[in-house]
Amino acid sequence: MSEGAQRVVFVYDPRMARFELHPDHPFKPLRVELSRSLLTSTGLLADSETVPPTPLADDDLLSVHDRAYVEAVKALSAGGPTTGAARWGLGTADNPIFAGMHELVRLVCAGTVTALDAVASGAATRALNLGGGLHHALQDRASGFCVYNDLALAIRRAVDRYGLRVAYVDLDAHHGDGVQWLFYEDPNVMTISLHESGEYLFPGTGHVYETGKGPGRGLSVNVPLEPYTDDESYLAAFDAVVPRALRAFAPDVIVLQAGADSNHFDPLADLSQTLEGMRQAYLRVVALADELTGGRLVATGGGGYDPYRTVPRAWAHLWAAMTGRELPAELPPAWAETWRGRLPADTTLPDRALDGPSDFAPSRNREQVARRNAVVVARVVAALDEIWQDTGLGRGVTSR
Amino acid sequence: MLVKEIMTRNVVAIGPDTPIRDVQALMEQRNIRHFPILEGRSGGAGSDHLLGIVSDRDLRLVGADHPKAPKGVTASHPVRDVMVPEVLVAHPEDPVEETAKVLRDNKIGAMPVMDDGRLVGIVTGIDMLDALVRMSGVKGASSRLEVELVDRPGALAGLLDRVASRNINVSSVLTARADEASVTFVLRVGTLDGHGLAAHLRGLGYNVLWPPETTEA
Repeated sequence: MSEGAQRVVFVYDPRMARFELHPDHPFKPLRVELSRSLLTSTGLLADSETVPPTPLADDDLLSVHDRAYVEAVKALSAGGPTTGAARWGLGTADNPIFAGMHELVRLVCAGTVTALDAVASGAATRALNLGGGLHHALQDRASGFCVYNDLALAIRRAVDRYGLRVAYVDLDAHHGDGVQWLFYEDPNVMTISLHESGEYLFPGTGHVYETGKGPGRGLSVNVPLEPYTDDESYLAAFDAVVPRALRAFAPDVIVLQAGADSNHFDPLADLSQTLEGMRQAYLRVVALADELTGGRLVATGGGGYDPYRTVPRAWAHLWAAMTGRELPAELPPAWAETWRGRLPADTTLPDRALDGPSDFAPSRNREQVARRNAVVVARVVAALDEIWQDTGLGRGVTSR
Repeated sequence: MLVKEIMTRNVVAIGPDTPIRDVQALMEQRNIRHFPILEGRSGGAGSDHLLGIVSDRDLRLVGADHPKAPKGVTASHPVRDVMVPEVLVAHPEDPVEETAKVLRDNKIGAMPVMDDGRLVGIVTGIDMLDALVRMSGVKGASSRLEVELVDRPGALAGLLDRVASRNINVSSVLTARADEASVTFVLRVGTLDGHGLAAHLRGLGYNVLWPPETTEA
């Protein structure tokens, strides 16, 4: 596919970046704005590439969420009584109730659905919604900073409206549990999640033997990684599992959740990737889309709690990978200048495109971590091969 | 936790005169490793007379070229010729810990569960493992929090209070280690930000073993 034939769109609405769940909450939507401004200041993102989300109606949320849940979120969002909110996972430390919550999260969902529509209709080859990636939200429950599941809404639409087979790839440091459970028995959706093991990190699931059920058997793929996993071990795990699974499934479109919390500096997780390692993973997903789906890729943000130093650069690399461009090694001073006085005290924005091994010591127990990950990866591959033998997945597609 | 909560209720019991080869076939077909042996079980009231128990190991040794193979016994003999006659039994209300200890001390794999003279179930080492998995299992999205506490009244209550005051639910508590002076608990806490909670608890003087302190550049 020639570069010129591709159109890549950046779905954006300033409201997605300008709210707070709570002043002390680690989830900072401003990351989206910081990423976008980094891209515009480097000339990697043009106005002509930016599209606004097409609004969603409340009823559009019902393809994934229960009506009672949506009604409850709406009432709480409008300042209704909070008794019983915990039943919906709301009013907790992770998911505080804030004014306008329903409308803002619905807008985030609209962004990801717009991205999917652009790609599925052929208007674009790839599309990115950095505000999206709310992979923990369940059918009737908010969880882990996520109220509605934008990814599930987009995947549901890809299957139901466009008749597509969807492969979901989740690179967030946390297991993509919400999306996995919502499609656990669905033969049209494969979910793949690489994450820090649930033994150590939220949400506690994503074990090797969660492999899907009924018609979805063999279509849930989980790679639980050790704390302190570095680039080399992470990418080895990716290379052993992701291409194999995607080739066996042969999707029509890939949906990527690119949470940026697998980085060494992330304060909420314990993986130890550098920005270069993350960039390599993005490039691999883009290449697999080129190989398997005619390039069709819908990507979102996700986690990422080092909002000034790490996330903007990670997501700028993601957009660069999707557009076949490259972030300059030295970032333009104009970017940091834009934000002078607008960020918390003591915050300095980075001036280089990559962090690197020189920015932090090699991870603890490096060899031990890599050995343990290799054992887990071998188990994942063996477990899936056995199921696929049985279900016939990948038969007649490729054998390598 | 009690034996009745983890035992298998659907027990396949056999009569003492059943030919060994039939029991072997049943073992393979149904994937069963232990058979209680009952004398003439009747459908109605009355008690079950438990004569013995036979394991997959006992059955496989029949006719084998092995020093422990029963001498002169072939597959056409009745199963009473290879059964173990003195059977240790459990009661449905026995604590699982106690039953686990009996299994382990006697190096046996299963115990029939008898209640009021009736065979009501069988409990095996595998049931114990299932119970362990269930007890340590993750219910609902949560993070691991491992804290070492001084072993004194109120220490755990104090910790739970601190977590609750942050509006975070605790869905599971396990004792990971215990010695003279301290106990280490592994909690599952309902927050994505386990690191933030850990930092808060460290600030209050708690010895948090997981999650680790966040490294700053």
